Amino acid sequence: MTAKTKDGKEVYNSEKHYHPQATTCKDNKMKYGAQVKTQYIRDTSLQPLETKTESFEIMLPEGVRAVEVTASVRYEIWKPDHMIEIHKITKHVSLDR
Amino acid sequence: MKFLKSFLVVLLVMIPVTAFAEKAKTIEELAAMYDSSSCKECHAEIYAQWEKSHHARSLMGVLGGLFMTPLAMKDKTPFSPDDPSQATLDTFPCFKCHLPQAVTSGSDDFAKDYAKALVAQDKERIGKLNISCLVCHNTKAIIHKRDEGHPEKGVLYSTKAVKSHDHPDFKTVKKSSIMDHSIMCGQCHGQGPNLEFENPVQCATLYGSYQHNYLSKGGQKSCQECHMGDNADHLFAPNWNDLEGTKKLLQEAISLDIDTVGYDWLLKSKDYKPVVVVNTRINTTAGHRIPDG
Repeated sequence: MTAKTKDGKEVYNSEKHYHPQATTCKDNKMKYGAQVKTQYIRDTSLQPLETKTESFEIMLPEGVRAVEVTASVRYEIWKPDHMIEIHKITKHVSLDR
Repeated sequence: MKFLKSFLVVLLVMIPVTAFAEKAKTIEELAAMYDSSSCKECHAEIYAQWEKSHHARSLMGVLGGLFMTPLAMKDKTPFSPDDPSQATLDTFPCFKCHLPQAVTSGSDDFAKDYAKALVAQDKERIGKLNISCLVCHNTKAIIHKRDEGHPEKGVLYSTKAVKSHDHPDFKTVKKSSIMDHSIMCGQCHGQGPNLEFENPVQCATLYGSYQHNYLSKGGQKSCQECHMGDNADHLFAPNWNDLEGTKKLLQEAISLDIDTVGYDWLLKSKDYKPVVVVNTRINTTAGHRIPDG
């Protein structure tokens, strides 16, 4: 989720990560490798037939009355640069009528 | 003399049994035992689909990475041997699903050969091993072994029986009780930690998610219905190396909607704060958690 002013300045940037997270159970460090993962300790993934809702409150800086917000859903595969942007929606939002 | 005769009879009876029980000692031997390339002569389209699937490169991961390499390297994992030459089948718990034929038909010598190939990053040799047609249509086709026996040598199993199958080594196709059921895939696309090993291993938990969090919400589709479709597509999408194809699949399963509002928020008396609120809704129709495997 990003918000930018009309001149392109980013005034907000936030990410939510949806995936199960596991440790070895021997310490509290998250691990990725199947050969060491033992138990999920948290699961923020998208669940079947469920809707994941979020509400982002973007406090605008002094003098900014309108922004372009962009929300995108991405799927990261194996490493950050091997990524699929599934959906991307951009909307112009103004406080003034 | 009588003893010698008895010994010879026993020996003659034993020879075919030991020949059948011979275990592969090298990558090439195991690849040859499970070679399915002859299938494409009659099933060209299905074979071409499978060749692009992750089943065709089950040891290669995404983008050709040899993901089991740490298992062959000293001190990298709890399973790692001091030297590749000391590897055994127990060194590679991932064989359970990524190469089931290694468990049934491979030897510790095979494990050593594989460990050395991993250290050498020999993708060409390792790429010869895969989840071939025979793995699903024979080795993994029967799970009710007490009721139905073990998969028979020289027999293929499918969703339908075929009385006469035109192949020199596989003349019969029998009906598998599970081939068109989700449990067929659930054998490997698992339920949670694998605790039968000397250290826990947790890979895919997709079938657990399907069972406990999809069926419970009234979902009724099988793995095969979504991932193979009406035409039994043996790509078993997604192919993670195909970003465009995978994007299309994900777009079908996941939706994103947003609503926005901008206003001056009166957080406290006479102190307006300009705020934009964005509410997002991500919905999924998949039969399992995303991500999982």
